Amino acid sequence: MATYDNKIWLLKNIREAFIATDDTGLCEIVMAGEDFSKLFQNKALEDKKRIREGQLSQPSTSRVKEGMGDISEDDDEKEIVTQFDPYPDMEDSEEEYGSSYLRYEEFGGHRQRSNTAQWLDKKEQALKKAAKIKVIKWDDSSTQLSTEQIAEIFTRSEVKKPENKKSLLAEQMEKCPDLPHRQYLEYAKFDGTAQMGLPVKSFKIFMTMLPEKHQNYPLVVCVIANAKIKDLIGFTCYKYSIEHPEISLGSVHNYGLCIAEDDGEVDWAFPCLDINEPCSKFGFTCLGLVELKNKHVFAHAPLSIPEESMLEVFPKAGESGQSHQNPSRQHTGGSATSEAVRKAINAVNQERKVAESELDKIQSHLNATDAPQYKTYRVHLLRKVRTNTLVQLGISLERIEVEPLVAHKHQFWSRSKYFRLNIDSVAWCQILEARANKTTFRLVYSPSNSNYYCDPNNSGGTSFFPPSTVYKIYDFECEHEMAREIVDKINTILDLRNSPCRREYKTSKEKKTQTRRSFQTRHLS
Amino acid sequence: MSLEASNSSGGGGSQVALVTGGYDHTIKLWQAHSGVCLRTMQHPDSQVNALEITPSGQMVAACGYQHIRMYDLQSANPDPVMNFEGVTKNVSRVGFHEDGKWMYTGGEDCTARIWDPRAGRQLQCQRIFQVPAPVNAVVLHPDQTQIMVGDQSGIIHVWDLRTDKNDQLIPEAEASIQDIAIAPEGKLMAAVNNKGNCYVWTLDGTPPRPVPRRQLLAHNKYALRCKFSHDSTMLVTTSGDCSAKLWRTSDWSLLRELRHDTQRWVWDAAFSIDSRYLFTGSSDSYARLWDVEKGTLEREYCGHQKPITALAFKDHAV
Repeated sequence: MATYDNKIWLLKNIREAFIATDDTGLCEIVMAGEDFSKLFQNKALEDKKRIREGQLSQPSTSRVKEGMGDISEDDDEKEIVTQFDPYPDMEDSEEEYGSSYLRYEEFGGHRQRSNTAQWLDKKEQALKKAAKIKVIKWDDSSTQLSTEQIAEIFTRSEVKKPENKKSLLAEQMEKCPDLPHRQYLEYAKFDGTAQMGLPVKSFKIFMTMLPEKHQNYPLVVCVIANAKIKDLIGFTCYKYSIEHPEISLGSVHNYGLCIAEDDGEVDWAFPCLDINEPCSKFGFTCLGLVELKNKHVFAHAPLSIPEESMLEVFPKAGESGQSHQNPSRQHTGGSATSEAVRKAINAVNQERKVAESELDKIQSHLNATDAPQYKTYRVHLLRKVRTNTLVQLGISLERIEVEPLVAHKHQFWSRSKYFRLNIDSVAWCQILEARANKTTFRLVYSPSNSNYYCDPNNSGGTSFFPPSTVYKIYDFECEHEMAREIVDKINTILDLRNSPCRREYKTSKEKKTQTRRSFQTRHLS
Repeated sequence: MSLEASNSSGGGGSQVALVTGGYDHTIKLWQAHSGVCLRTMQHPDSQVNALEITPSGQMVAACGYQHIRMYDLQSANPDPVMNFEGVTKNVSRVGFHEDGKWMYTGGEDCTARIWDPRAGRQLQCQRIFQVPAPVNAVVLHPDQTQIMVGDQSGIIHVWDLRTDKNDQLIPEAEASIQDIAIAPEGKLMAAVNNKGNCYVWTLDGTPPRPVPRRQLLAHNKYALRCKFSHDSTMLVTTSGDCSAKLWRTSDWSLLRELRHDTQRWVWDAAFSIDSRYLFTGSSDSYARLWDVEKGTLEREYCGHQKPITALAFKDHAV
């Protein structure tokens, strides 16, 4: 920008940007009286005035010019350059330095109240608040206390041996052993009413899964705006169980949030809100908490096998009737698992951890022999634009099948169909990223390479590698262990088959890395 | 206005109160036995370095950057009712005379101060004690006439309020004193430093003189706090090693080490009046209640968005 070397303009612009983008108004208060651009301008004007007066008071030199005709004052002024002039050859008009930073709201239909008015309001509020606070300032001038005064104020008191007392806390603890809300405690931190300076969002939540007599009034919950829907569910359970300790709620994983009318009527035409989305994303303020077993839509990710501690925290998880997805390799089926079974699984998991090193060797061998066998997994198919869908991924020596597991009666926008890929059209399979509880893995395939068919609009497929062979991708997501197993299995099969498609992809990939490496070495040398 | 205005009335001031504060600029009041957050108060512009409930239980004092603020625990007011200012740096500790006659603080401006909360009175008891290094710890002896001031250069200054004389203790060279505690009986003093070491003195005579007694290799990292239990049988030390350790004062053996999977730095701790329970506050934004005898975690207090760096607990004898 041409005006970047203009100190005044820069100062003014930075100042205004701070003020305009700071909703708290603190910037304006902090910078009040420190408008340096104005100060500089005024100083420059003063200097000019002084210099001009100095010239006028020296008639001998200034009058010489008279003979050469009239020099207008303006010209005169322009030639006087002071140290405060940021941009000597620029007219210092108000327009030049005027508001260069416009707040976007002000482009709208009606103008917001001016910053000054808002600032005055804030100041008034702050003053009102301050009036209630008694301020005690350290007084440096206060006189030294006399010895008598010291003796009077700072008297020695006798130290008594504290007797053994019974604690009220201990008594209360004994009376209150049962804590229904404790299982939702981790969600307490999303409480929006207890924050300072964080954006919050309020919802009316109808507890539709409770018996009718408890449904009369919605629960008003306020959470911090970046809480996810699952956090909102958790916090709702937390708040409800504090207010109604006599009613026991189930695990948060049993519930979903649906859009509801003002009267609490759930709109079943829409699926549950995605539990991993921040609640600030949704404009609805009336929501219904629903039990997922009554829903056609499967809105949550499969649970991993709960650890021992989890079992304690969510004691009701097992008895809820909600089918648990157990994506470990032993239990891809996913049926309601009894406490005992899960404990057994835990024990097995524990043992496996111990014997991991030996098992690894056997495992790699097993993988090779097991790989060609047909096996199915429950995973989520990731989509760029639409919601992720739970699918069954079937892998055999011949093909990879993807079958949606949920009948999307109401999700008109994500009608995904069964599709399958010939194994010879699959070029690559790898883990993309591992997050806290999920791993994403990618399947690269070439649609031109085989008799594959899939849903007509090629869901999720994005093409890259132009133009020789077109490769497309599918991304899936599931629990770590399973992802590793699937990727191992597919890669073993791919290596066994060693199809032309895979060879070609591999070569192009190697070429690419080589080019990159040579490019780097060239630059480094 | 005296801090003890409500002393005679008792009322709400006699109840159990757990208060926590930290980096999220809020102070929370909890129902200790249920774990429910009752109120959130605002502590603008600064973290909370230390919390102390007034002897009456009416108010809680929070010290932070340049301020000591007092909040009314009995009302629903989220703002402070008193604001002590005029300090240029962080105020690291705050405490009270046993009857609430005056308040003492220590801070990074290398001073310990005595404040008169009844400003405007004829007789002011404001006093200041200058030391060469920033002050991390101040504690008042139960006889109300001596204040121990621990600074970052590793010196403990014994400030006699009646004579204004002072003595120095240097338990370990070049190790910053992080906290000092004196047992309620007034016979023991402990200090922890940034090396994780804990030093113990016995206090004898009038006025009490510290006599070195013991060194404990309490933690292998930064120690943050130390506190004696009400019956003086235990000392708790907390540390950056994510643990709180309980020591028997009888033989200085380790009684218990309190750890939790998610617990991080343990910044502060407080005992119940019967020495049966211990509260801790940690960087994982949780406060916890432990059964000292069993070593079990009894309650968790969740609600802070950022680390808890200070807590205060007032129990009530029944």
